[in-house]
Amino acid sequence: MIAFEHVGKRYGGRFDALANLDFRVRRGEMVFLTGHSGAGKSSLLRLLMRLERPSRGRILVAGHDIDRLHASQVPFYRRQIGVVFQDHQLLFDRSIYHNVALPLEIQGAEPREAARRVRAALDKVGLLHREKALPIELSGGEQQRVGIARAVVNKPALLLADEPTGNLDPQLSADIMALFEDFHRIGTTVMVASHDLALIARLRHRTLRLQEGRLVADEEAA
Amino acid sequence: MSRETPSRRGARAQRATAGGRWRSWLRHHRAMSLDSASRLLRHPVGSLLTMLAIAIALVLPAGLWLTLDGARLLDAELDESATLTVYLEKDVGADEAGRIEQALAAREGVASTRLITAAEGMAEFQQALGLEDALARLPGNPLPASVVIHPQDPAPAAVQGLADGLETVAGVEEVRLDLAWLERLRHLAELGRRVGLGLAVLFGLGVLLVVGNTIRLAVENRRQEIEVVTLIGATHAFVRRPFLYSGAWYGLGGGLLAWGLLTLGGDWLAAPIAALAASYGASFALPGLGLAGSAMLLGCSTLLGWLGAWIAVSRHLAQIRPR
Repeated sequence: MIAFEHVGKRYGGRFDALANLDFRVRRGEMVFLTGHSGAGKSSLLRLLMRLERPSRGRILVAGHDIDRLHASQVPFYRRQIGVVFQDHQLLFDRSIYHNVALPLEIQGAEPREAARRVRAALDKVGLLHREKALPIELSGGEQQRVGIARAVVNKPALLLADEPTGNLDPQLSADIMALFEDFHRIGTTVMVASHDLALIARLRHRTLRLQEGRLVADEEAA
Repeated sequence: MSRETPSRRGARAQRATAGGRWRSWLRHHRAMSLDSASRLLRHPVGSLLTMLAIAIALVLPAGLWLTLDGARLLDAELDESATLTVYLEKDVGADEAGRIEQALAAREGVASTRLITAAEGMAEFQQALGLEDALARLPGNPLPASVVIHPQDPAPAAVQGLADGLETVAGVEEVRLDLAWLERLRHLAELGRRVGLGLAVLFGLGVLLVVGNTIRLAVENRRQEIEVVTLIGATHAFVRRPFLYSGAWYGLGGGLLAWGLLTLGGDWLAAPIAALAASYGASFALPGLGLAGSAMLLGCSTLLGWLGAWIAVSRHLAQIRPR
């Protein structure tokens, strides 16, 4: 599903955020990405979302070199990946329902079909009863679940998450991770960046460890 | 959840039919036009001020254009009255005057003629000047007979050419024509036309700037939203659409206000203009915009609003990069 081939990312001509990354993620696999802050986790995800382009090497997603996508194709590429952000990136001027419906609205989904899928996604994260609420009325954990519902509402083949449990207590974090495992179980390729090592260790999935922009460990699930 | 893999189901959902895509495109347009209108209505004072600024920028060139349009109608009327007066020699009798008139009427370039005999000329003169008593004391009629000629072609050069030809006709004493002031009026109208065009271009740019600035602020206010929708796969067209509608609404609102101002202004100026025209013995009234003019005004203002928004959004979208 994902192949990094000797990928490097250099900022400002000197600082190597990522250097010589070389790994593959199989379709349907669940992978954790760990490392201290500044190790390059976010840079790697930004490359995958094609918010940035590698300075060296190439990245293949579903067999396509994403660096060669034309600017007009990038939106359509992004529609195929669901992304969960640490700070949720919800829109605070619209209801939970409309936040989750946003990707479908962008794709121009038929409203009745969209409603069905939004409700299914909200049901999955346990927030169907809050669909009319505004994000501000929800707790941090609930907001993150809305973010997850939005990421999965168009059933992406690839789900990326950047520190999705960053600000949550251990129990909520475990709940969120359990959601990602559910999506993994139904065939979605999942990549979660997190520095919550204790939680990751309990979950037993493949773990890529970054340090100063280099891949220092690639541990298969025990 | 079915056991189908998400990727396959996602792929099927994205394989929309052409009809479905067209419907969803229309749906988004409808949603965005309503959404941007409701955003404008949520800040009525600010929106009204923007529209008023647009309206004021439109009123001046549009008003000038109407004035010139009125002047053109007047010009056409004046062309109708572009006549030559041919004074016959004093010793030409009434019979011969009639023969000369017929000869003149037969000439090329002459549309119609009217003979004014010496006696008729005297009567007109008396009536116009109110000098019956003084003129009655004259020993004879000092006025010659004359023929008023309407040329076929009222253009100044053609009239002048015709006049030169008539000078040589036997029995003709003098040919009078007064084209200078007609010429002056034409030059003034041309000057006005160019000033109007220049103003229209300048004020059109003004409208672009007003709308552009307003939309720039709107883009800035919705920066986070733009970043988020870009992250989840919105195209530039999708992001741009609500702002283009806002711009078009501003333009349309400004156009409607301008239309109202022009109508009010026309009514307000109608009486003095009519009085002024009457004092020159002419009938001149500011023409209204009419259906075509109104449509043109509203169409142009909407287009300018849309264009201003397009420029502003395109400039700023390039700067907004998701973090």
